[in-house]
Formats: sequence, structure tokens, C-alpha cells
Amino acid sequence: MIHSPTNRTSAALGPAPLHRGLIASAAILLIAALGTDYTYYVTSLWQWANFSAWLIVGGLVVLLVAAVFLVLDFVIGRAHRLDGFSFVLLGIAALLSVINAFVHSRDAWTSVVPQGLLLSAVSALLLLVLGGRGWTLASSRSTKKGV
Amino acid sequence: MDPGKQSLDQKGRMSRSSVRPLTALMVLAAMLAACGSKGGDPARQYGSNPDLPEPSEYLLPPMHVPKEIGWSPGETPTASAGLRVEALASGLQHPRMVYTLPDGDVLVVESNSPGTEAFRPKDLIAGKVKARAGAAGKAGNRITLLRGANGDGTAAMRTTFIDHLHSPFGVVLVGDTLYVADTDAILAFNYVPGATQITAPGVKLADLPAGPIDHHWTKSMTVNADGSKLYVGVGSNSNITENGMAVEDGRAAIYEVDRSTGAKRIFASGTRNPTGVAFEPHTHQLFAIVNERDEIGPDLVPDYLTSIREGGFYGWPYSYWGNHVDVRVHPQKPDRVAQAIKPDYGLSSHVAPLGLVFSQGQHLSAAFADGAFIGEHGSWDRSPLNGYQVIFVPFENGRPVGKPIPVVTGFLGADDETVHGRPVGLALDATGALLIADDAGNVVWRVSAAPANNASTSAVQD
Repeated sequence: MIHSPTNRTSAALGPAPLHRGLIASAAILLIAALGTDYTYYVTSLWQWANFSAWLIVGGLVVLLVAAVFLVLDFVIGRAHRLDGFSFVLLGIAALLSVINAFVHSRDAWTSVVPQGLLLSAVSALLLLVLGGRGWTLASSRSTKKGV
Repeated sequence: MDPGKQSLDQKGRMSRSSVRPLTALMVLAAMLAACGSKGGDPARQYGSNPDLPEPSEYLLPPMHVPKEIGWSPGETPTASAGLRVEALASGLQHPRMVYTLPDGDVLVVESNSPGTEAFRPKDLIAGKVKARAGAAGKAGNRITLLRGANGDGTAAMRTTFIDHLHSPFGVVLVGDTLYVADTDAILAFNYVPGATQITAPGVKLADLPAGPIDHHWTKSMTVNADGSKLYVGVGSNSNITENGMAVEDGRAAIYEVDRSTGAKRIFASGTRNPTGVAFEPHTHQLFAIVNERDEIGPDLVPDYLTSIREGGFYGWPYSYWGNHVDVRVHPQKPDRVAQAIKPDYGLSSHVAPLGLVFSQGQHLSAAFADGAFIGEHGSWDRSPLNGYQVIFVPFENGRPVGKPIPVVTGFLGADDETVHGRPVGLALDATGALLIADDAGNVVWRVSAAPANNASTSAVQD
């Protein structure tokens, strides 16, 4: 197989992994929550805080589906090796988002400000980095190294 | 080799760089989780100067709800010494309020929430948890009439008195007009003494704030001494403005409604959920029981009993127990906080007082001659559980004094994880006995003085 450490996507190697689109979708919801959180912070209009609560829970549900498809990708051979950095990145973002979902279950102002807004911002930042890495947890390298 | 070190080496540079964020995450989680503490002794929060801890915010919603198991045949709650308790009627549909007519007939209001939509993911879960303790029980949306007594204490006659109501709660008879407070309006019915049924539709006296949302839906109601004005408790549309300020217009208030014209005005405000209103019989001062806010700690905020001043503001949502600011409300209003009246008497936190009736002399015992009986529906967001009993708050010179006295307990199972029934509305019957609507057990209990020869064994009847 072609070994190309600079090419982080596996597009050239065959069908794309199924989990990528799902992770990108989940990330969009979670990143959007930063936008709605910020809008609530600026406007104090309760509906924005509600949007955030649904976006975060929605993002986590899609992420759960993505996890199933990640396993499936390995089983059907659309992914070969776990990208450790991306995995940790997403893992932290997911954990922060779980905490954030609970923070957003509080009532009124403090469901967002300051802890919710902070958690949304950190999660969004981590996810954007993940986006830069192609929304995938599987590296293109199929060679087994150091495991 | 240390296994922890080995795995770190294997994962190499990338996982080492993740150690610091992980540590930060754990610190954050510990910080957020530190608030799930247990509630203290409720006795510290009785009376005029309750102990108020610092507010804390939860990470996990603090739900703790016992499982509803109902009453087995012959099983009753426990009356305090010198009293006995028996079921006046059972098999009702979510009885919330009881009211005694002048000829001794007893009205039972069978009601529940008109239903609310889930606005947030939290609402989906909270609704299911509360349903465990019978909060979602199917309601009759009707008033049942009970008359007479059989040998075993049960009512001899039972009829559907008024049917097809809309989440009714408060009932009051003035002259020959029976007023029923549905969740969205006060209806007036013509009452003929001795009637067992009213089929003519009610005439609307006044609209009451209801939808959208209608979070706190019960409309408690009483009438002043000369019968000219009705007083109606209207609860807030949220715990603490999480549904926006717009839906709180005209809510969390006690209304005065002119009986002849139906004109209404806000008599007092800032009362989060005034679930019971009643006039003190000696001074004719209006009193209310109020359910205070949730989710800032197991011992915040104490529910209370207070005299209601005309034009008075009692804090919600901006502050509690006078000028203790609630940071969850934004924007805040320091000028309103400065005006907030401190309530008269703390009942301790999350007991959910839903029934209020003043004693009318020594019908039960000398200890209960002067004061207020209060039905505590019981907590859903506090551990250990609080409430789930009927208490008596003694009065002197028209003011609540001293510590409350438990009147009827034993609604909870022994392990605090099950609940047989939950007290709601209260009334005195024609003989001065105390009536209790139990909406989880679907029973109306009657508490009377025990026969003198077995005064100490009142706890367990047949």
C-alpha cells in the first residue's frame, strides 16, 4: 500500500470512512452552540440558551452514532489505523460537551454564563482543529507502527 | 516497568501533550460536581429567621423522587397523638383540593396540570422522573361531591358534582354562587343547597393567566370576610425565568378580583407560586403559602407562609427571603431587590406546601386551636426528602410563632424510596375535622380527635 505520511485523508486509498461525515455533522452542531451561547450572552433572550441546549445534546447524539460508524469503518476496512491525536482531541471535546450539556440544564443566566460559554468555546476550538485534520479519526497510514 | 509509564511511551508525543487538558478537565469536573451536597436539618429553616446557606449550582439536576406505591387496603398515614385518621373516600382521580359546603357536603377537586411542552432536553427527563412519584396521575378534571358517613368513616354518597373542568384548583362558595378557579378562568356556578350535581355551564367571572406554558398551573382562591373580593394565587411560568421574562407578565402574583364586576388587579407580586391563600380568622389578614425556587441547593430556598401586604413585592425572581440576590436572573434589578419583603415564616426548603387552612378552634385538640394547617406535597429535588406531611403552624395574636407541629405523617415508605400518598389541599369539615386531599394515593383523608380511651393508639387504624 502507498505510504504517505503527509496525506492525512485516505481519499486516494479507496472509499472514504463512514464516520467522517458524522463527526463533521456533530461538530457543526457543537460549534453552532458557541454561536447561540454568545448570542444569549449578548441579548439575554432565553430562546438562544434553549437552542444551545438542543444543539449540544444533538451534537452528542450524532457523535454517538459516529462512534458506532468508526468501529464499523475498522470492521469493513474503510479505516486502518486510529489517529491518536485526533482521537484525544475529539475525546476531550466530547467530554467537555457532556459536562456542557449538564451546565446547560441549569436554569436561566448561569446555564450559559460563564461556564457554559467557556465550555462551548473550548469545545469549538478543539473541533475546529479536528476539522483542520479532515474530521477523521483514522489516519491514512495502514502500516502498523509501534503497536 | 510501570504500566502507566509504558502506555504513555507507546502513545508517544501526542498523548503526552493531552495530559494537561485532561488534568484541567478533571479539575473542572470536580469543581462542578462539588455542589451535590445533602440537605441539613429542616428545623433550622423553620420560623422567621431561617438559616440560609450560600447558593450553589448543580451539574447534575438534583432529582430525588420516591416511587409511588399507593395505599394497601386498611393502610393509612399516621396521625399524631390524640388524633385518628380514616379514609373519607378513595379511588379518586388525582384529588388536589377539598372544600366543605355549609350543609356539610364535601367537594373534592380532581385535577392535574393541563400539560406542558418540553422546551429543553432537561424537560423530557424531568417529566419522567417526577411521574415516578405520581405527579403524572390521570386527573378527573371534575369536582366530586361526598355526603354523609358510613360506619367505617367513608362517605355514604358520592356524585360527580361538576364535570369537564379545565385543571381546576381553588373553590369557594359565596352566597348561592360557587366559584371554581380553572387554570385559565374563574367560573361562577349557581349553587342550590342540597344539590348533588350542577349541569348548567359556569359563567366566566374573570380570565386568569394560563398559557402559553402554564408551568405553575394551580389557581388557589379564597374570599374576604364581606364576600366582595376573591383572592387568587397565580404561579410563575418557570422555576427562575428560564422561559424568558415575557411569559412572566402578570404571573407570580396574588390577584384581587371584584366579585360583582370581575375586574381584577394584582394585589401582591413576587410570590413565585402562591399555592394557598386564606384569611386569618381573628385578624382577617390575608396569608399565603408560597413555593420558592429550586436548584440552588438542598437548603435553598425555604418555602414560606406569610401575611400578604397590599402592593407588596416578595422577591421573585430577582431575590429570595428579602434581598438575597438570585444570580440566575438577567438582567438583574437592584431596585426591585431593595423593595423585596422578607416572608414571615419559613417552612424549610422544597417541602412544596400546597394546602393551607386556618384552624377554627379546639376541634382536634387544644394544641391546634389557633394556627394554620399546611399540606406539604413533598420535595422532588432534595436529598434527603423533605415534606410529605401535614403540619400545624401555631399562631399568636394573628402571627405565626414557634416551631411547626407534625399533624399527619407516614406518607413515605420506611426507606424514603417509596411513597404511599402525597398531601395537597386541606379543609375543615362541618365538625372541625381536618380533610386532606392525597393526589398520589387518590384518597381524601379525614383527621379527627381520637376517642378519649385510645388517644395514644391513633397511629394505625384497622
